[in-house]
Amino acid sequence: MSVVLGYDESPGAARALRVAIDVAAAFDERLVLVYGAAPPGPTGEEYRAHYEAIAQAGRAGLEHGVASAEAAGVSATVEVIDLSPAQALIEAASRYGARVIVVGSWGESPIRGALLGSTPHKLLHLSTVPVLCVPTEA
Amino acid sequence: MAEDRAGSAPPASLKPDAIGFVDALVIGLNATSPAYSVAAVIGPIVALVGIYAPGVLFASFVPMLFIASAFYYLNKADQDCGTTFSWVTRAMGPWAGWLGGWAIAMTGVLVVGSLADIAVSFGLLAVGLDSWAENTFVRQLLTVLLIVVMTGLCVIGTELSAKVQNVLILAQVAFLLVFVIVALYRVYAGTTSFDSVRPSAEWLNPFGAGGAALTSGLLLGVFIYWGWESAVNLTEEVEDSASAPGKAGVWSTVILLVTYLSVGFAVVAFAGTAYLAENAGEEEFIFALLAREVMGGWDWIVLLAVATSALASTQTTIIPASRTALSMARRRALPAHFARISPRFRTPDVSTWWVAAIAIAWYLVVSQISENALFDSLTALSLLIAFYYALTGVACAVYYRRHLTESMRNFLLIGLGPVVGAGLLTWLLVRSVMDMSDPANSYSGTSWFGLGPPLVIGICISLMGVVIMVVLRFRTPSFWHERRGVVDPGLVHGKES
Repeated sequence: MSVVLGYDESPGAARALRVAIDVAAAFDERLVLVYGAAPPGPTGEEYRAHYEAIAQAGRAGLEHGVASAEAAGVSATVEVIDLSPAQALIEAASRYGARVIVVGSWGESPIRGALLGSTPHKLLHLSTVPVLCVPTEA
Repeated sequence: MAEDRAGSAPPASLKPDAIGFVDALVIGLNATSPAYSVAAVIGPIVALVGIYAPGVLFASFVPMLFIASAFYYLNKADQDCGTTFSWVTRAMGPWAGWLGGWAIAMTGVLVVGSLADIAVSFGLLAVGLDSWAENTFVRQLLTVLLIVVMTGLCVIGTELSAKVQNVLILAQVAFLLVFVIVALYRVYAGTTSFDSVRPSAEWLNPFGAGGAALTSGLLLGVFIYWGWESAVNLTEEVEDSASAPGKAGVWSTVILLVTYLSVGFAVVAFAGTAYLAENAGEEEFIFALLAREVMGGWDWIVLLAVATSALASTQTTIIPASRTALSMARRRALPAHFARISPRFRTPDVSTWWVAAIAIAWYLVVSQISENALFDSLTALSLLIAFYYALTGVACAVYYRRHLTESMRNFLLIGLGPVVGAGLLTWLLVRSVMDMSDPANSYSGTSWFGLGPPLVIGICISLMGVVIMVVLRFRTPSFWHERRGVVDPGLVHGKES
């Protein structure tokens, strides 16, 4: 089994990373860092420039995540998946037999979250494995 | 080091199964936004060529068809960036490429203001707030607010609208066709209040109104097919998954042609030439006026179709413009901060807000200095569109130059077609520049520095582009070291066989 973490370089994800490393270390399992690289918005000729920029940003972020995990003695795997973040996490969770999905939440009002399309909110409804939501530090 | 699977995502798959027939049809239609285009252009075209409007609308399709072929083949060769900017850079070097990218980004930026203005005006007319629509201050305030809101939506990257847009776009074509049917029915039943004329096949003759009128008409006509090449590119992207998207590309073309031609026929037949000549100064609202006459109390259907079309294309215009800026910034052709991706929403937030800021500034400035600003800037846009389409056509032949003689098909579709298209557009460009150097030929009829406003707008944009390009050349030279190339022969033969 493994621990799947939705990771980008947002402030919310930093604490989620620490929690996920703790969980993975406690169970002595592999940590899978997932980044969903599908850009929002319609397709078009310029779609690919956007897609590549996002994938590149994701890879840069994931490298930092991997470094932190290895510093804590946790083995880490990186996945950049061509799906929206929630779908990417669900896909990775089923592929790696996840014990739990860890995501950072922005700690904003439910209405704002619903309007902006909150990834934790989607996961809670769609995921078949437990989801651990980590709020940002106050 | 941990095992890195970052590169394992197949780079060439943009979710091929995700695009079905309706989606592909919608993308093709959406990119051209027929209701808005027809509302913006039918007045000026009819004023220029009278009853021969359908002929000019049809003739405008010819250069577009050739250029779409160039887009198709260039997209095949270079999918990794996929913009005119990238293709022209590869084929003809960084200087030409940068100017192409500048033109494409500017057309996007500059049209947003008039799109939003049309959305607001027709939206207000549709709900009966006619006095608001005539009040310049209210209309401009709402337009700016609309641009800000639509940009916000683009930055947040909401996926909510996708399904709604599908419905709106199909509805918009349906409403236009309802307008056409009612108008033509009333012409034949003799229940119009105008000097109606029965449609005749002679109206399809693009040369009917003479050469000069044809040139100006064609330049506007190119505008209504602007964006149609996305439908062609789309068919390539999903070619291997099924034949549905390819068919959708063809169908969106047929639907566009039928819609434009029939609206052209309906407008001319219903209103008659005398009325159209009298109201030649009212291009902006001629479609709204006619909608009221034709549909009576149901005119809100047509007005709403135009408003939603303009609204939808505000969003679909901001996104490509900001992505082009992103693409340019990633290759260091623009300052690097334009390539910033919002970590939260995964959209290029800096370039998107810049697009909006320039669009708003442009809209406000032009509406201050020119009475008929929107149409003057539309005409200026057509100049830019013609420029970058022509550049793309030439780039296609240049990029594939070693393969043109391999088969008749290659020669016609990759070489001759795009070059003829580029030639036609260049000819239009030159003729219109000559036309526009006379201020009397512009919509506002005013003179700026002894030239027509659209030409001044076009020249200013090009000069700004050249200046910025030269500045960037010295500040970030790396992009200017990119060298010209030709298409990878393996790719050509792999795809063709």
